[in-house]
Amino acid sequence: MDSVAPAVGAAVKPIFSRDLGEARRRVRELYRAWYREVPNTVHLFQLDITVKQGRDKVREMFMKNAHVTDPRVIDLLVIKGKIELQETINVWKQRTHVMRYFHETETPRPTDFLSKFYAGNDP
Amino acid sequence: VALPLSLSTGLTCMLVCRHHLRILYTKIIAVLQNFPKDAAYRKYTEAIINERFNMVKAEPDIEKLENKINSGQIEEVILQAENELNLARKMAQWKPWEPLIEEPPSDQWKWPV
Amino acid sequence: MLLLFFLMAFHLPLFFSATIRPKDEVQQKQLCAFGEYVAEILPKYIQQVQVTCFNELEILIHPDGIIPVLTFLRDHTNAQFKSLADLTAVDVPTRQNRFEIVYNLLSLHFNSRIRVKTYTDELTPLDSAVPVYQAANWYEREVWDMFGVFFANHPDLRRILTDYGFEGHPFRKDFPLSGFVEVRYDDEVKRIVAEPLELSQEFRKFDLNSPWETFPAHREAPEPLTIEAGDKKGDVK
Repeated sequence: MDSVAPAVGAAVKPIFSRDLGEARRRVRELYRAWYREVPNTVHLFQLDITVKQGRDKVREMFMKNAHVTDPRVIDLLVIKGKIELQETINVWKQRTHVMRYFHETETPRPTDFLSKFYAGNDP
Repeated sequence: VALPLSLSTGLTCMLVCRHHLRILYTKIIAVLQNFPKDAAYRKYTEAIINERFNMVKAEPDIEKLENKINSGQIEEVILQAENELNLARKMAQWKPWEPLIEEPPSDQWKWPV
Repeated sequence: MLLLFFLMAFHLPLFFSATIRPKDEVQQKQLCAFGEYVAEILPKYIQQVQVTCFNELEILIHPDGIIPVLTFLRDHTNAQFKSLADLTAVDVPTRQNRFEIVYNLLSLHFNSRIRVKTYTDELTPLDSAVPVYQAANWYEREVWDMFGVFFANHPDLRRILTDYGFEGHPFRKDFPLSGFVEVRYDDEVKRIVAEPLELSQEFRKFDLNSPWETFPAHREAPEPLTIEAGDKKGDVK
């Protein structure tokens, strides 16, 4: 895959990665680190989920940004992911912060006409 | 040996400070020699350093020297010289006398927008 | 008695005029001279030098020049700005480089202050000022947290004010005042949960106009009133 030129056109200052390949390598490294950390996290925080569920969630979070092609945006996302990982490894987070990824208590938004009608007062 | 009065700072290098200053000033001027002649940094710094260097050479008494330089106690003058030397060495890499890297976008410094 | 009250009311504007800030010409000249001095020494980085109406010297620089300019101001014998008083950012979304980064420096030796400004956008990293000023460490973390400006070579860039798991940068102008999530205690799962906020439509109107005039000097001149000849005639009658 060719590296995609950023929208500005002129040469821009890279954050870390000079092209898309390098950015993707960083993403894979981060994914691996998260993947290895999941069993530890489930044990440390005493979460009521299986390791499989945790890893699926990690995968889902990564796939949410799969459409991003600008290396600088990828780098920034990787930086944020690393900061989150550090917070999880050092148990700076609490159980609530980890479980927020799973959106357990939210009621799904009504989508079709009739259920919207039942819910009433569509904001 | 009669110790000079500026022992108030707790530093006891007073007896050699003039020697120390001389070395520092010589080094700064040596670094400045590599800069282009018309560089403003070289021009101004040479003026400051030469002025102080001459005072250090002319005035044997440290207290009077401090008053003449009028930049705090002699330890401060030494610190300033050390900082200036560090800065001059870095300036040799940065070359700040070159023309502006890039003009700002036209709306960058306009306020209110 | 009535007359006395009238006189006092009449003289009130005179009392107020005494509180107007006097213009300090000497200080302004000194600042101008120092600004020109710095601009002459560092023409490579300095784009503009200005002195504000409150006698504050501002140096506007190219983002590549952060380390050289700050180091110069710290180490030069005639500057000696040894203390970083503040570091912050300003968000102006309409600009090509929307973030202004502001460094406020203090020289204890010369009892003077200086402000250095530079710019960046969401994706361009800036050089961290930590090698020059240790104090910049937490300030830069704050700017990263609140505005999302990335500082390259920062020793420990992570959140400082927001909660773990918080998404977004709250000081950006496009961040809604209410945030994206609301937090409550849930009795079923026995912990705090964060749920996406549902904002009804009438609260989404953002009236940003202040009732006061913020920049009276930059207001467009009102259209001159024209009185037609016919009206005048009518009045006379």
